[in-house]
Amino acid sequence: MIKTDVIIIGGGATGCGIARDLALRGIPHCLIEKGDFAAGATGACHGLLHSGGRYVVTDPIAAKECYDENLILRRIGEKCVEQTGGLFVRLPGDSKRFRELFLRGCEDVGIPTEVISSTKALDLVPNLNPELEEAIKVPDCSIDPFRLCMLNIRTSQLRDGLIFTRHKVTEIVKSHGRCIGIKATDQATGEVREIRGNIIVNAAGAWANMIASLAGCEVPMTLAKGSLVITNHRLTNMVINRLRPPSDGDIIVPNEAVCLAGTTSLAVENPDKIGIESTEVDTIIGEAGRMIPHFNHTRIIRAFSGVRPLLKSKKMDSHEISRGFQIIDHGNGMYSIAGGKLTTFRLMAEKMVDTIMAAFKLKRACETAEIPLDGQEELSGYPLSKRLADMKDVVCECELVSRKEVERIINQTGTRNVGDIQHRTRLGMGPCQGGFCTFRALGIMNDMSVISPEQSMEMLRGFLQRRFRGIRYALWGDQLREEQLVEYIYLGILAMEKPQ
Amino acid sequence: MSVTEYDAIILGAGVAGLTAGAFLAARGFKVALVTSGEPPACLSTGCIDVCSRDHNPLLGINGLPPEHPFHLLPENTIRESLNNFQATMTDMGLPYTGTAEANRLVLSALGTFKTSCLVPSTMKAAPQDTKDSIHIITFAGLKDFYPSYIISRRPNTKFSVYDAGVSSTMGIASHFEEKEFLESFITWLKGQKIREDKIAFPAVLGLESADEIVQTIATGVGKPVFEIPTIPPSMPGRRLFNALKDYFRKKGGDIYWEWPVIGVEKSGKIIEAVMTASKGRPNSLNGKAFILASGSFVGGGLTAGRDSITENIFNLHVHAPGPRETWFENDYFSFNHGIGRAGIKVDSSLRPTGSPWENIFVCGGILADTEILKNGCGHGLALATAHAAAKSCMEYIR
Repeated sequence: MIKTDVIIIGGGATGCGIARDLALRGIPHCLIEKGDFAAGATGACHGLLHSGGRYVVTDPIAAKECYDENLILRRIGEKCVEQTGGLFVRLPGDSKRFRELFLRGCEDVGIPTEVISSTKALDLVPNLNPELEEAIKVPDCSIDPFRLCMLNIRTSQLRDGLIFTRHKVTEIVKSHGRCIGIKATDQATGEVREIRGNIIVNAAGAWANMIASLAGCEVPMTLAKGSLVITNHRLTNMVINRLRPPSDGDIIVPNEAVCLAGTTSLAVENPDKIGIESTEVDTIIGEAGRMIPHFNHTRIIRAFSGVRPLLKSKKMDSHEISRGFQIIDHGNGMYSIAGGKLTTFRLMAEKMVDTIMAAFKLKRACETAEIPLDGQEELSGYPLSKRLADMKDVVCECELVSRKEVERIINQTGTRNVGDIQHRTRLGMGPCQGGFCTFRALGIMNDMSVISPEQSMEMLRGFLQRRFRGIRYALWGDQLREEQLVEYIYLGILAMEKPQ
Repeated sequence: MSVTEYDAIILGAGVAGLTAGAFLAARGFKVALVTSGEPPACLSTGCIDVCSRDHNPLLGINGLPPEHPFHLLPENTIRESLNNFQATMTDMGLPYTGTAEANRLVLSALGTFKTSCLVPSTMKAAPQDTKDSIHIITFAGLKDFYPSYIISRRPNTKFSVYDAGVSSTMGIASHFEEKEFLESFITWLKGQKIREDKIAFPAVLGLESADEIVQTIATGVGKPVFEIPTIPPSMPGRRLFNALKDYFRKKGGDIYWEWPVIGVEKSGKIIEAVMTASKGRPNSLNGKAFILASGSFVGGGLTAGRDSITENIFNLHVHAPGPRETWFENDYFSFNHGIGRAGIKVDSSLRPTGSPWENIFVCGGILADTEILKNGCGHGLALATAHAAAKSCMEYIR
């Protein structure tokens, strides 16, 4: 049995941020995550580090928090933030009144803006709709959510924090009405681990109510599914927003070699049962195509959706529900932290840890806003120059990942899950979506004896099934053509049979 | 613009196009074949799948749904096309094993069995059940072949790794064409003192002399030797393509290589010419008849838009399973994705149904309702429909 002070449930941005904050304040802790880091809403978002502009009209408090955090993250996390800048574009027919509210709101909150002409906007982003009326420049940035989680966890690991990914919490252990620990099952081996702690922090995002119910508590939330699509190209170097009240398909964010566009917003009941509708994909493409016409003809490589854990509200349209967050003291040693957004994860962690410090009657101020994230040099990805140097032994042709790099990740993390390699190297993230390289990566894992031959076969099957969930909604044009080839390879040449 | 006259113009250089072209050229017709590039046949296993739904492929065909294009062909056309293919390939130094009455099994790179009808002689010795013990020889750095997948199904399998000095499929295959390399390899292989029943290789044993190389190795070590088809680049697929292409040229056919079709000239009920874009000027290829063998989506014969599916050369009506939501099922392994039924519907003369053109004949993967993966009927269907289309075309020209 493991004993610690604080148990964090959930390895999204919030959970990882709490682990870092606790580590910097010297509090022993343990983080449990049922999948990999950023597996929920954190990894299924635009990767937009908001300037706050998106919320100035509907939610000025959230907007202010966003802008403050935007400044902090650009300072402490320069390796996972790309300072692209952003534009709010006003198209013919878009309300001028909203423009005034927007500019006034930004001024009140303190977000710097610059109104630029359509000519200037087209200079900055040549792919923009040439009919735009004008654009407003804001300090939006692109952020890599997965790398962000890894860098936060790094600090915790360097200071003896215990981290268990792929462990699912199955029980909250109670004694005399107080939560004193958890039981978690290793998803790979089935082994059950018991961990004892004085405080349990429920940062399970969309799954927060499920975790709370294990302790007989409740977290009132509205779950809003948002879908996004990924393009094969980077169509813009700046974040593009539509200058109108928040609605479907109004944001396009550049990320490495691709763009992400979305989202939609539909209420859902169960975060484990979410699909994508063809109409959602068509809506996003149509709306994104209004801002960047090229979007209508660009290859979409995948669609995905995530679930926003929003605080329960009477407002019917989930676009209007506050992106603010809340800490709930269940009064039995468990706290839940819900709501919020990726941009404000650090602030959420700070408030959570302030609460914990008060409960422990300890005094040590938060330093997460001042100290740069640990290990940025080492974890700053796998730069193109290095990818090109390793070309002759390349395993993933789309993203130029070499066998050496795959082996390094396996040795470093001891992972037995091909998804972990994908997250850390971008293997399989390109147009073929792992159609060729996953077969190879699993073969390599087998060569290195980290998985058995039977496991490699089973994992390949599971991978193809999961992969299809994402690309199924982007199948037309070249993507359909490539998918037909991949299907022909696995089901024809390799004669994979229907799983029992 | 240059204008060239032909009896028949074939669109597409896959198994169907080359077979239909050779059929006509062999009978004295002036034939041109236009292609925008290499066909997906180069990526295939080279095996001729006729119908995998029964041990006897011809009986399997009887069980296919009534709309399947195989039902448009008399059984003797199917037999004749397979016999001709086998004779031609023997002639071209790429012999095939098998008969139209019995399917064979080919060991896949995942250790599963692929069911096929005619298989390259290099796969003849593949085990037909799970009993034989196998020793796999793989090559250092070859990134598309991992014995572990096979071991997961056949625990009585061992493997050794040979360093060929190169690591690409093509590079290793061309080394095997060198006598010295082959001799030193056999010496090494004898030194391995292999105890298993059979020796398996990923399909890298040579470019054009694979049959001979396999026999030389088998004689050298005194054990049956066979190839396992790999994911692309696939040597058996390339060998098949090269042999069909060489045969078509040998019979006097012209190939317009990398000349995509950019337009069509028509008059009344007749297609008169296709316009192609070459590196220099546009060319008009006039023909009395046209055989459309441009393949399905991978081959480039069909394109799926967000709302509809189009045929890319003559803009023929494409039979689609329904709106986009119906093209794929959620289960990847369903073998029942609606998209497998998309294509051109034809009548028994292989003319597109409901089309105004009387001199277009359609064959191969572009046909509707084939469901190639589900029915295991890829190259076999291409051969048989190519024969039928070429016959109809011949009657029409006369």
